[in-house]
Amino acid sequence: MSATRTIHFTLNGDPVTAQIGTHQHLVEVLQAQGLTGARESCAQGLCGCCTVLVNDVAVSGCLYLAAFADGADVRTIEYAPAGKLDVVQEAFIECGAFQCGYCTPGFILMTRQLLDAHPDPSEDDIRHYLSGNLCRCAAYPEIIKAVKLAAVKRRG
Amino acid sequence: MAPFELAEPHTLSEAIALLNAGDVPVRAIAGGTALMLMMKAGVFQPARLVSLRRVEACHAEITVMPDGGLSIGAMATLSSLARSAAVKQAAPVITQTLKTLSNVRVRNVATIGGHLAHGDPHMDLPPVLTALGAQVRTLSPVGERTRAVADLYTGYYETVLADNELISEVIVPPQSGSLAAYLKITTRAADDWPTLGIAVSLQMEADIVKAARIVVSAATNTPLRLEVAEQTLLGTTLDAVTLLRCGDAAVSSVELAADAHGSAAYKRELLRVYTQRALRQALAVQL
Repeated sequence: MSATRTIHFTLNGDPVTAQIGTHQHLVEVLQAQGLTGARESCAQGLCGCCTVLVNDVAVSGCLYLAAFADGADVRTIEYAPAGKLDVVQEAFIECGAFQCGYCTPGFILMTRQLLDAHPDPSEDDIRHYLSGNLCRCAAYPEIIKAVKLAAVKRRG
Repeated sequence: MAPFELAEPHTLSEAIALLNAGDVPVRAIAGGTALMLMMKAGVFQPARLVSLRRVEACHAEITVMPDGGLSIGAMATLSSLARSAAVKQAAPVITQTLKTLSNVRVRNVATIGGHLAHGDPHMDLPPVLTALGAQVRTLSPVGERTRAVADLYTGYYETVLADNELISEVIVPPQSGSLAAYLKITTRAADDWPTLGIAVSLQMEADIVKAARIVVSAATNTPLRLEVAEQTLLGTTLDAVTLLRCGDAAVSSVELAADAHGSAAYKRELLRVYTQRALRQALAVQL
């Protein structure tokens, strides 16, 4: 058995074949594909900067073996089928819900997951659901406003 | 991480056969969230990992058994447990515990089998399942065994499980008439590793305590039942004086260890207070 293998998966809607090391995590493989939206920051699954959707389920890409993505539908922040920003991204911009922006892809992806599960979340729901995402600029008040605004826009 | 071979068998029995590798470090990997941390830190460098993600789907099923107990396949993710109506009905304390057990992404991937087999004393479900009297079924070349969760752990990251023995199922006995609670104390985020975990389960008859289990975690090498403290509750109505005595008994009956999440002295005071709070919370569930 070899420590490398070829995997096939769908990446943001397009079929991809990649040669990977079995020990590589998903973020490493995505970056080799030229996608830098998912980035490794804490490297422990705590901060959410590496958030990736695998078969519509949010995972920490830095704790997820790339080999496990074989055959899966993988989506990152770069996925934009309509060719424009979605309401969550618009809300983050309107509320200024970032400073440096490093954590923003993870917050956007997790906010979409939150709103899929809870279309009208309370502030407690928001704080609790996003407790696994860290913004080291501490834009949390604006992020919470943005999530509330995104919820309104989505229901709108 | 250092390179390793990755096997992806399609059945649990194939997986067990692949775990037999002599002196070479081989480990099963389910969700991998805990193992990845160890491999990234370089504290574990496997020659081969045996992935369980392709094994039979039945190993992820969650069902209420005819007696009212729960059967949880070891490959059930923590998210699937958190969402499960069966879990909420049969053992609501598990549903409650999962709310602050790590974050959404980790729960989406981590499995209950991996959670129990890892042996990290900071994990939340070992003390809860011990308080509920839960068991695990395990499979190895020797055959199937049933072990109490209370008997799984022998030390810090050490379990009784053989190298080629896998947890296949978690059985939670019927909890009818029992009250349970779990409190975890964290010093940073709510879903952080606990500085102390305390799980309690009470069998009441009218207002009188007939049986009690109190389990401390995250401050001892393994989840630990505090039997001396449990004794102070029997035959009482859990009045204020009893609760105080129980908290004191808990502290004096166990040696707590410091770690990055708190000193031993701090954890002792937490144990004194949170034993009482956990008992109050268990009682409040009844109302």
